[in-house]
Amino acid sequence: MIVAKRKPLNEIAEMLAPYKKVTIIGCRSCVAICLAGGEKEVKMLVSALKIKNKRDGRKQQIEGTVVERQCEKEWVQEIEDEILDSDVTLSMACSLGAQTIGDMYPKHLTFPGLNTGIFGVPEEQGVWSENCVGCGNCIIHTTGGICPIARCAKSMLNGPCGGSANRKCEVNLEVDCAWSAIYDRLKLQNRLDLIESVTPAKDWSASHSGGRRVIVREDAKLTQHQKKGKGVT
Amino acid sequence: MNAKIQVVLCKCCSEMPKLLNIARLEKLASESGNVLSVMTLDGLCDGKELTQIVAEARAKEIDRAIVLACQKKDVSPALIKAYRRAGVNEYLVGIVNIREEVVLPHTAEPERAQTKAETKLLAAIARSRLLQPLERSSEDMKTRNVVIVGGGVAGQAAAREAAKYGVHTIILEKTGKSITAPGVVMPRARLIGGKGYGGNFELRIKVGESVEDLGAASIVVASGGGWATLKGALAKTVKGALPLYEFYQKLQLDQVPAGTVVFMDTPDPAGKTLKVQDFAWDDTLETAIELKKKRPDTAVFVVFQEMRASGLSELAYKEAAEIGVKFVRYDRSATPKVDPKDPTVLTVKDLSQGEVLKIKLGAMVFASIPASQDNQIIAEALRIPMSPDGGIRRGSIQRGPVSTPKPGVFVCGSALFPKSRDVAAAEGEAAGKMAGEFAARGSIEYGGIVAQVTQEKCSACLTCVRTCPYEAPFIGTATKAEIRVQACQGCGMCVGICPSKAIELLNYTDDQIMTESKTLLGGDF
Repeated sequence: MIVAKRKPLNEIAEMLAPYKKVTIIGCRSCVAICLAGGEKEVKMLVSALKIKNKRDGRKQQIEGTVVERQCEKEWVQEIEDEILDSDVTLSMACSLGAQTIGDMYPKHLTFPGLNTGIFGVPEEQGVWSENCVGCGNCIIHTTGGICPIARCAKSMLNGPCGGSANRKCEVNLEVDCAWSAIYDRLKLQNRLDLIESVTPAKDWSASHSGGRRVIVREDAKLTQHQKKGKGVT
Repeated sequence: MNAKIQVVLCKCCSEMPKLLNIARLEKLASESGNVLSVMTLDGLCDGKELTQIVAEARAKEIDRAIVLACQKKDVSPALIKAYRRAGVNEYLVGIVNIREEVVLPHTAEPERAQTKAETKLLAAIARSRLLQPLERSSEDMKTRNVVIVGGGVAGQAAAREAAKYGVHTIILEKTGKSITAPGVVMPRARLIGGKGYGGNFELRIKVGESVEDLGAASIVVASGGGWATLKGALAKTVKGALPLYEFYQKLQLDQVPAGTVVFMDTPDPAGKTLKVQDFAWDDTLETAIELKKKRPDTAVFVVFQEMRASGLSELAYKEAAEIGVKFVRYDRSATPKVDPKDPTVLTVKDLSQGEVLKIKLGAMVFASIPASQDNQIIAEALRIPMSPDGGIRRGSIQRGPVSTPKPGVFVCGSALFPKSRDVAAAEGEAAGKMAGEFAARGSIEYGGIVAQVTQEKCSACLTCVRTCPYEAPFIGTATKAEIRVQACQGCGMCVGICPSKAIELLNYTDDQIMTESKTLLGGDF
């Protein structure tokens, strides 16, 4: 899932300070599950800001609400009135949600309440680790199911590097060396020959290097005719 | 909602009418919405005036009540009983502790006391309006089995005591040794898994090589302790470092070497892992006293960072000090050390005196030692917490010395941490009595203030399932969280952590808490 973390209260308060009417919008999907921007976090932030405003003597009207998935226009549309009725919207979704609102209502101000971080897996409650960077060309079938692009500091395709020692990474001794883990996994699977075969340079065109990426599923796209029937253009 | 509230003011403690303006409180209450009856009584504790309350509550068809009184133990059950007679749901009777929270702390400031009493009254009325009547239900236990894990001293004692309640005791003994105890003894049997809740557990056991299911109404963990080797920096350096119980045995056999004896909390003073259980301090003090009495010429030190003896064992501090045992407290920033080049001298900075002591060691004895390896498997099977030093954790040393945090699961003997046979037997008897009594009830009561899921809000994120210590939440067939009400203890942990606000604790909902808080503190937040 997409894992994010709420910005510090003071940073949020400063962002919102010039505005009289604030609507804070959470999201029930990834950011709720990673305990960053669900209904609970929205309610807590609303209360925290109200208490801070009271202490700082600032007058501001703050409302909070939450939508099913903020990255989808249909869900955002359901709270259009609440958005447009405010001077500024603080999105408690990942940046996708914040940008969806921004794109739908370009004249309206939408600010981010979270710092969007990683595609993460919950290691345990409260701990998420980055296991994928969305490079667009998955190779983990050759690396024992462990992604060297996300989990190696140098994103090496042929590893480990000379900085790997005692299964740790030279960048930070707290970080496990991805290639040590790959070696162990391949050994377990009796496929150590894979570590000896050289992987040629990767085609990075599917990654971010080519500018903004778009994934299209032609057969699922609606035709102009269908869109018109739904009143969508 | 048409709440019909009765407000009762108890004047029982003589300070209240002196300090507070009762007439103003009465007026405030009667002018509040939904309040149909306001009564001021001389004293609730003697019970005589409860009949008046019942009569008035019946006459005005009251459905909820707020009582401004004290927190005396006998007040609330008697009140709830009285209100039940008047047809008022017990969960709609609220007590505002006006004595301990208003009268006593503000005896010298009548105005503040009055304002606080008024605010608390209004907050209680505001909350009361929003409360829902709740019911408790009961479920029959499917079995009268008391399963005792471990057939040692503690386990056998537990079986003897539990059997007196007419329940069916089953001892799971991992070895093949023969055991004389009432009920069934299963040799070569281990607990490997389990689910359910107090009253209706379904255990998975391994007997020899075969795996079987076993129902249990209650469980006693008497898995014993390990005499594991000491770990930690000091134990490694000091030659002849001993765990307390080994030293105790040597003392009984007069095999203690000559020279100064130092009792210390942990061989790993700079580490985080080994903590000393309270009971270990009791035994440390008793052993130090016994040693000093047997050999008055031996210098005896107790070196500790933080010490806590329990109950009457606190008297042992005094006795030990009087017969010449020296207590040395150290600080985490300057932990005791032994120079590896001369491992016979312990250097410790005495926190109370500020001086650095060098103690020539004859023997060094540690109170904390790791417990049995089996504990881990048992704790995972029953989902009960472990203590930092690897034993099973008890609920509370004062209120539940043989209880675990999980209702229906009891623990005794060295499963808590290694101890002497007589203490283990005494704990076994206690745990057996608790487990026997629990199983003999035949049914469990549940409900009332429990968690409730609004499934439309749930995204099955598993946070509640992971957080609950009682395994009450689970993801049901609709891929939404559900609460196993029989297991729910109403602690509210799942409610607090649910990121989607899909779980509420009945009668402690956000709305109720926020309404009450806003009345108390004023303003919007």
